[in-house]
Amino acid sequence: MSQPPAIRVADLSVWYGAQRALTGITLDVPAGQVLALIGASGCGKSTVLRALNRMIDRVPNVRWQGSAMVGDTDVLGPAVDVVALRRRVGMVFQQPNPFPFSVFDNVAYGPRLHGIKHPARLRKTVEDSLKQAALWDEVRGKLRRPARALSGGQQQRLCIARALAVKPQVLLMDEPTAALDPLSTAKIEELVRELKGRYTMVVVTHNLQQAARISDWTAFLEAGRLIESGQTGTIFTTPRDARTENYITGRYE
Amino acid sequence: MNRRGLTLHRAALGLAGVTGLVYAAMLASLLRDGWPLLSWRFLLGLPRELEAGGGVAPEILNTFSMVMMAMAVIAPLGLAVAVQRVEYGRDVWWTRELDRWSRVFLSVPGIVVGLVAYRVLVAELGWPVSILTGTVALAVLNWPFVAVSAGDALAGVPESLREGSLALGTTRWQTWLFAVLPEALPSLVNGLGLAAARMIGESAALIFTAGVNVSPHWGLAAPGETLAVHLWYIRTEGLMPDATGQAAATGIVLLGLVIALLWASQRLALWLERRH
Ligand SMILES: Nc1ncnc2c1ncn2[C@@H]1O[C@H](COP(=O)(O)OP(=O)(O)OP(=O)(O)O)[C@@H](O)[C@H]1O
Ligand SMILES: [Mg+2]
Repeated sequence: MSQPPAIRVADLSVWYGAQRALTGITLDVPAGQVLALIGASGCGKSTVLRALNRMIDRVPNVRWQGSAMVGDTDVLGPAVDVVALRRRVGMVFQQPNPFPFSVFDNVAYGPRLHGIKHPARLRKTVEDSLKQAALWDEVRGKLRRPARALSGGQQQRLCIARALAVKPQVLLMDEPTAALDPLSTAKIEELVRELKGRYTMVVVTHNLQQAARISDWTAFLEAGRLIESGQTGTIFTTPRDARTENYITGRYE
Repeated sequence: MNRRGLTLHRAALGLAGVTGLVYAAMLASLLRDGWPLLSWRFLLGLPRELEAGGGVAPEILNTFSMVMMAMAVIAPLGLAVAVQRVEYGRDVWWTRELDRWSRVFLSVPGIVVGLVAYRVLVAELGWPVSILTGTVALAVLNWPFVAVSAGDALAGVPESLREGSLALGTTRWQTWLFAVLPEALPSLVNGLGLAAARMIGESAALIFTAGVNVSPHWGLAAPGETLAVHLWYIRTEGLMPDATGQAAATGIVLLGLVIALLWASQRLALWLERRH
C-alpha cells in the first residue's frame, strides 16, 4: 500500500446560504496520523470533515473559500472529480448506516460498483477489510446474515470495513462512537490506533478522553473558528488559549 | 381513566362495533346471494344478457389485462416522477408544483376522468370504446396515486443511507439504484399493490371508455367491460332473471381478487423487508 497523504487545510471558510459555518480554518495533519476535532455542538466540526470529501456539495447553496490539500490535490478546487475523490477519502458516520443487504454484500458494495467482478478477488477484499476492521472473527461464517442483525458496535465496524474495502487513503469519522456502548467504543478506539500509519485520519468527537487516547493532533473549534490546534499532549496539558482550557476542563459556557 | 374519557371510549367502541356489523351484514348478503352461483361455469363462462347462468370469464380477463397494462405504463412513469421529485429536485419550484398537483389529481373523481377521456379519445380522435381506451383512462386516473406513493416510499429512505453510499465514491445514479431502491422496495411494492387494487375496483372511469360489453376475442380494440363495471351494469340494467345472484357472485369474485392482490403484495413487501 502506498504512503497515505498529508492533509493541509488553508484559510477555509464555508457558508450555508447566508449563514457562515466556518471562518478561516487552517489545519495540518501529517501523513498517516490522527487529528481529533473537538468543540461544542454546532461549532463546525462536521463541516470541516464534510468539506474534505465534498459531502457539503449535497447542501444547496453551499459556498466555500480557501483550500484543502489532500496529498497533491486541492479537494475544494473546481475541477475535482467528487466521485473519485470520495474513493480516496472515506467516511464513517455517527449512526451506523449499513445497507439492507447481507454482511458480505455491504462490504462488497463499493468494490463491486468500482468494477471488481471476480468472485475470488471480491471475497479476498471483503475478508481483508473485515479483518482490518477487527470484525472478521465475529462474522466469519455469518457473512450471509443481514447486516442489520448485527449489534450497533458490530454495525459500526462493518461500516468501517465497508469504507476500507474501496481502499481509501484518508478516513474521516464523524462521532463514530456516539451511538455505541463503552465496550464497542473501546473496540473502535483500538481500531483507530491500529489503522494509524496506513491511513490519515480525522475524527470528530465529543468525548475528550477519547480524543486524548486516539489522536496525535487535536484542534479545538468554537463558533466556526479554529481556536487552537497542536499536538494532543500539549493541547490537553498546556493549552495556550483560555477558551481551550475552559472547554477541556469542562468549564465551558 | 376519568368518567368522560370512559364514556368517549365506550362510544368509540360502540361506533366501531356498528361499522363492523354493517360490513358483516353486507358481506353476509353478498355471500348468501352469490355463493350458490359460484362455480367453474361462472368463472369460465361468457355472460348472458337475457338468460340465467352467465359467467364472467371475459370480465376477469379484461380486468387483469387492463390493470396490468395500465400498471406497466404508470409504475415506471410514477417512479420517474418520484425520483425527479425526491432525489433530484429538492425544493425547486416546479417539483413543488408537481407535488401539489399530483396530490390534487389524487382526488379527481373517476367519472370526470372517464368523461374527459371519452370526449378526447372517442369523440375527437375516433378511438373505439375499448380495452385500450379504458386502459388509458385507468392510467390517467391512477398515475398520481402511484407517483405520490412512490414519492413517499423514496422519501422514507433515510438520508444517511444515501450518504453512506455516496461516501464510497459511487455516483448518484448508482446510489439510487443499488442502495435507495432496495431500501424503498417494500413500501414501493405496498404502494403498487394498493394502486392495482384501486384499479381493479374502478368503474366510473371505465363505463364510457371501456364500455359495458365484452367480446369473445380479446383485443386492444375490443370492448372491455371489467368485473367492477359488470357489477354496476347488472345492478342497473341487467335483464337476466338471476341478476341479483349474478351481481353478488361478481362482487365476491371482485372482492376476492382485491383481497388476494393486497395479501400477495403485502406478503411480498414483508418478505423483502425481512430479507434485510
Ligand atoms: N445543511 C445545513 N444547512 C444549513 N446550515 C447548516 C447545515 N449543516 C450545518 N449547518 C450549520 O452550520 C454550523 C456548523 O454545523 P456542523 O454540523 O458543522 O457542526 P458540528 O460541530 O458538527 O455540530 P455537532 O457537534 O452538533 O455535530 C451550525 O450552525 C449548523 O447549524
Ligand atoms: Mg457534527
